[in-house]
Amino acid sequence: MTIRILLAVVIGALMGMFILPQGTLAYTDLVIDIGLMLLLFFVGIDIGLNRSVFGRIKAIGFRILYIPLAIIIGSIAGSAVAGIILGMPFNEAGAIGAGLGWYTLSSILVATYSSQLSAMAFIANVTRELIAFIIIPTVAKKLGFLEAIAPAGATAMDTGLPIVSRSTDPETAIIAFISGVICTSAVPVLVPLILNL
Amino acid sequence: MGTRLLMYLVVIMLGALVGAKASLGDQLKKRLGSIQTSCLLFLLGVMGIKVGMDQGVVDSFFQIGYRAVVMSIFTISFSILGVFLVKRLVTGGGAK
Repeated sequence: MTIRILLAVVIGALMGMFILPQGTLAYTDLVIDIGLMLLLFFVGIDIGLNRSVFGRIKAIGFRILYIPLAIIIGSIAGSAVAGIILGMPFNEAGAIGAGLGWYTLSSILVATYSSQLSAMAFIANVTRELIAFIIIPTVAKKLGFLEAIAPAGATAMDTGLPIVSRSTDPETAIIAFISGVICTSAVPVLVPLILNL
Repeated sequence: MGTRLLMYLVVIMLGALVGAKASLGDQLKKRLGSIQTSCLLFLLGVMGIKVGMDQGVVDSFFQIGYRAVVMSIFTISFSILGVFLVKRLVTGGGAK
């Protein structure tokens, strides 16, 4: 699965760079939206076919919240460590990590602070999303289903959800969606907060 | 974000309703996985096209790509570590 995902992204990127006319870009968002809705519908069917998952989710209860919390803390800590290696101040590196893969918003939130950091936030979070797509199946297989939610960060509620769902089970897909919603809600608060430290 | 989130929720719930109530044929149930995979790979291809066509992203990637990749690898690794530790602490590692 990982190789197929990698190939799909790389072939797509190469087609975008060298083959397709620039006008195609105008339709990509629409195609992505339609494709995503279709995939989320399939994720729903999977959940519907396994009704027992709701009982199991209920049994887990509020402990589900530990997952997005761990993802948020882990992402910020990871970017802070990367910041030390790259010689960046904590607030700048931490703010990039706090983007949690939501590249459009995180780069906008950082733009008023520095345009260079904004570009970095954008690319780092785009890269996070792409790396997440590629490694989620392997993480699910080698480490565990819950760990497979982590790379997706905020995208676990949309673009990352179909991959998590395909690589894990319906129960994890529901947890991933909840985690993605919480991470997504946290980005607009965390990025400015960390940036102003 | 609010409208989009609501839309995602409605679509997933609609799918869940179809999965739970409608009697899907065994043939379709068997093929569901491969249909999903095909759609997923197509979607990822289109996302790749979007990234490849954005000259700003491509240029920035070649300029600051190495730093961005280092940043992404660390954020992903530490977030996985965070969930791994939480799973160990909360469930004693019993969960999947």
